[in-house]
Amino acid sequence: MPNPTSQQFSDLLDRRDIVVCVGSGGVGKTTTSAVIALHAAIEGRRAIVLTIDPAKRLANSLGVDSLDNEPTEIPLEQFKAIGVEPKGTLHAMMLDMKQSFDELVERYAPDAESKQQILRNKLYQYFSTSLAGTQEYAAAERLFDIYSSGEYDLIVLDTPPTSHALDFLEAPNRLTEAINSRAMQFLYKPGRRNLLGVGTNYVIKTLSKFTGGQMLAELGTFLRAFSTLFGGFQERAKQVRKLLTSDKATFCVVTAPNAANIDEAIYFYNKLGSDHVRVGAFVTNRVHPDWVPEDQLNKPALNVAESLAGLHPSFEALERTEQKDFAKKLRQNANDFNILAKLDSESIERLRDTVPSKVPIIRVPYFSRDIHSLRGLDHVRRAIFIGDAS
Amino acid sequence: MSLYDRRMVLFSGKGGVGKTTLASAFALSCALKGQKTLLIELNVKDRLNSLFGSVEVGSQIVEIEQNLWAVNITPQAAIEEYGLMRLKLKMVYKAVFENRLVRSFLRAVPGLNDLVMLGKAHFHATEVDERGNYVWDKVVIDAPATGHGIFFLKIPSVITSIIDSGPMFSDAKKIEDFIQDPELTALNLVTLPEEMPVNETLELRQVVNNELKVPIGMIVANSVYPHVFSEEEMEWVEQTEDEQFDEEVSGFIDAARFRTQRVNMQREYVERLGEEVDEPFVKIPYYFTERFDFQTIRKIARELEEQLDATPSSAKARRSVG
Repeated sequence: MPNPTSQQFSDLLDRRDIVVCVGSGGVGKTTTSAVIALHAAIEGRRAIVLTIDPAKRLANSLGVDSLDNEPTEIPLEQFKAIGVEPKGTLHAMMLDMKQSFDELVERYAPDAESKQQILRNKLYQYFSTSLAGTQEYAAAERLFDIYSSGEYDLIVLDTPPTSHALDFLEAPNRLTEAINSRAMQFLYKPGRRNLLGVGTNYVIKTLSKFTGGQMLAELGTFLRAFSTLFGGFQERAKQVRKLLTSDKATFCVVTAPNAANIDEAIYFYNKLGSDHVRVGAFVTNRVHPDWVPEDQLNKPALNVAESLAGLHPSFEALERTEQKDFAKKLRQNANDFNILAKLDSESIERLRDTVPSKVPIIRVPYFSRDIHSLRGLDHVRRAIFIGDAS
Repeated sequence: MSLYDRRMVLFSGKGGVGKTTLASAFALSCALKGQKTLLIELNVKDRLNSLFGSVEVGSQIVEIEQNLWAVNITPQAAIEEYGLMRLKLKMVYKAVFENRLVRSFLRAVPGLNDLVMLGKAHFHATEVDERGNYVWDKVVIDAPATGHGIFFLKIPSVITSIIDSGPMFSDAKKIEDFIQDPELTALNLVTLPEEMPVNETLELRQVVNNELKVPIGMIVANSVYPHVFSEEEMEWVEQTEDEQFDEEVSGFIDAARFRTQRVNMQREYVERLGEEVDEPFVKIPYYFTERFDFQTIRKIARELEEQLDATPSSAKARRSVG
């Protein structure tokens, strides 16, 4: 039987079509996303996970060679080996940002000439892979496509790691607003000069002192080409935003239990809330188990050695001084991890005090090995959806 | 060329690997050597104040330790300063920069934020006083996490590939030359001894060498568990995996098993990194501590200094060819 927190999370997912996993880098977001999709597939839904991480390991642990920009079906027979039988289906794909953005250009460019003009433009080449917001935009766009196809019951999106969780939502807006801004239009629609008045002329002249005329001209060329895409972009950004703030979608903040990560998770939560986005759950990965409770840590090393010696012939074979020395180390090691376990649970308590009780906070223990295989993924799945940490 | 002789030292790596910690510790070790050091954060939520127990670090330079100053560069402040420098007169500046159109324009220029932040860091690295002496002996930068970090260093060369004249070109060119010069700049890659971070670091290293051509200073494996158990003891712990232990001791054994398995796994990845990189390779231990504060930073600073001084400084950073 799942524990109540796991049940809460599972119930939430049942009622949603889209789960967006946000969080800073290095907290296990990709694995968590995959496991959420796996859970939905087991429950009988048609699930897909969209990852942005070129995670070869994830592909391998799902039993496929690699993932690419198109959905790959994950073979389900393999799950029998670990004793689960998915009633639904599972797909996975890796978003190639550059390719996705190029596809957007293909889709929205009015003719072949402007398409080539954009794709060849050096500013575009830089811009399409690195400007804050373009990756997020491409991810959101792709999500919308897949959602519209109606082929899946649950879409799990693993967002780009960012220190500003909201870039994912804000960046597309910023991008479209910026391109549409009057100053930008001035550069690519020179005909509008008079509408903006003489003051602007002076401003642009001064700006060109700042950037150089050539830079402004290059920028103008780029913007002119890019603006042809703009109508399509803007409309889409609006739809994506509407979808993600609707009750079809929920956001899951993935975090690690150290103080800095928890601070960030709380920051995400508040920021998302003020942006009308619903955070449905938190998943805290890598929580240090409390192996030896504090009151037992002070047990004399000799006692530990004695109880081990009494039970274990292999331990008994050690010299008496070695036994005691080893027992001391066992105690020191347990003490090391007790410190971390205490810190972790303090941080999680802090998070618990901040968010309403209807939002589950899932704890996934720190595993001693990396998640390499389906079996590993299944461990995580059980930790999240059953609350079984073994 | 030792890392301590470069003017600008950057730290990059995947999020959560300890970049800020390492940048702080390295900056502190420079300060302890008597170098006047400026530690730069780039538009992030300040963490230095808690690490150093100092005042909040904002867009004004503040002293946080002896010989050590810090600043958190934001694009807004950097653009303003840059604008003032270029446009000289405050009045002209105001007319331009307080114009709404110009603001939205500046917000939208691709890469401008990155360029001005890097530009400001470069400015400090080359800043001289009225007698022509360098103001700073060392500028240490906590660079953005991987991905963005790469593009951040790429922007000067993107600009010089698009345009070939004008003030923006000459600024970009100056920065580009500076960050590619192994006598002046070093980019350090921080990672964890785990599979994904190690793989990503090795890939990043390729990109830095082949595309960015920014000299790599050192590779840092952070958070390496210090050994508690001897090899024999670890073996014993591993062998008892399937045994049932008395409740009294099973927690101790579980904790020991976790440590042992992690240590073994980390060893593998540390070894792999060591084999594949030819830059100085530094290992920083994990600190089991209740408060990660100045004391810990100081320990890491000493660790860095010891390990770097022990590494032959045979100018392993390669000057890029072509």
